[in-house]
Amino acid sequence: MPRPHIEPFVDRDVGFKKMTLPGFKNGIQYKMLSIDKDSGACTMTVQYESGFKQPPGFSYTEMELFVMDGHLMIGGKKYVKGTYIFAPSGTHLPAMSTDEGALCLAFYNFGPPTFEESDADHDKADKSQSLKMLNSYEGLDWQVPTLFPQTAPGCLLKILHLDPKTFGMTFLYCMTPGFWQDNISYHDVAEEAYHIWGTSWMMQFGDLPTGGYFYRPAYINHGCFKSDLGILAIGRTDGDLHNYFHHDPFSTPEENHHRAAAKLARMKPALYKWILTNEHNHLPHDFEYPDDAYNTDGYDSGIHMHEDGTSHSHKSSGAHSHITAPAKKKKK
Amino acid sequence: MTLGSTTIRGNLRPKMTKDEAAWVKQELAEQIDRYKKIVQDMEALAPQREKWVAEFLHRIQTRGFHVHAAIRRVIPKNEVRPRDGRPIQVVF
Ligand SMILES: [Fe+2]
Repeated sequence: MPRPHIEPFVDRDVGFKKMTLPGFKNGIQYKMLSIDKDSGACTMTVQYESGFKQPPGFSYTEMELFVMDGHLMIGGKKYVKGTYIFAPSGTHLPAMSTDEGALCLAFYNFGPPTFEESDADHDKADKSQSLKMLNSYEGLDWQVPTLFPQTAPGCLLKILHLDPKTFGMTFLYCMTPGFWQDNISYHDVAEEAYHIWGTSWMMQFGDLPTGGYFYRPAYINHGCFKSDLGILAIGRTDGDLHNYFHHDPFSTPEENHHRAAAKLARMKPALYKWILTNEHNHLPHDFEYPDDAYNTDGYDSGIHMHEDGTSHSHKSSGAHSHITAPAKKKKK
Repeated sequence: MTLGSTTIRGNLRPKMTKDEAAWVKQELAEQIDRYKKIVQDMEALAPQREKWVAEFLHRIQTRGFHVHAAIRRVIPKNEVRPRDGRPIQVVF
């Protein structure tokens, strides 16, 4: 996970920059929210200026776009605020333009932003997923999350995209006015979110207002939570989201990691034992995805930013944990 | 990408062009500055955060701790892990 912990960051505090990467047409400005040091994958606030025009084309990396304000004309159809677009890698979008401009969030998930003019898909375009263009405000209803354990009443979801392989998801979420949740949470996956509207509060980071953003690697404590007037936000994870709730404000990511492993051993003992006893020679294999490689060398949790922009690398392989187990307290 | 999701399916051209690499390098330098400011801001919030933590620990022992959805449980004092001088680090 080579994106660092960026939390909290409010994009209203910084100005837009001109997009200068080759391939992109004039009339795009952006604010960088977070970027991956290895792959260049990133999340940005993007302003398409009024009069912006772009021919049909694709991104080499999987890309998501959410319209927060204004509109985009895509293939002659008008897409207003609330529009969510998911484009698998190499999948072309029709010609795009806007008269009034459009304020969007752009997610380039596995590489830097690219735009290649083309009226057809790349010949190696990812066909395991399909192009999605939906109006999330009018076309989807709010749902109570079905995660176990679940967030407190008053936090609702609209699932925009679920990655079929990792269960990473992109979702709108809201907190109703007066929402509160008195627990501390962490996950096995990275989580990022942007406040489209409203202010919420977390015990670690204080208030996160409209335009507020975070990219949070796995196992980092967040919460308790509240929102006085409610929020509307868009969130994204890079894998299956499980809420590990607890009430120790001082626990470290290492301890949280240990606790998650202990939970796995308790909740899925057969899988846990299988992984342990098959340590080095039998990496996971999925007959549905026989070409996938699961290389566990050099796992990088993304935790701890260094001067050179790299993160502290947590290296471990197979069943060998690099983390020292916390010392057991002697009972008095 | 987390451990396990190690496929390159999501990027058809993993090797960056020279222009892209230069752009990413510049963005990373700016990201370090943003990160440093966040660390400073979060350190400045430390005294206030201590109060919030004390209030949280009080609430879970009186009003209750959210176990799942609307289910709350009042945490007995002996289940609150002693602090033992541990710091609160919030940015990693
Ligand atoms: Fe979370």
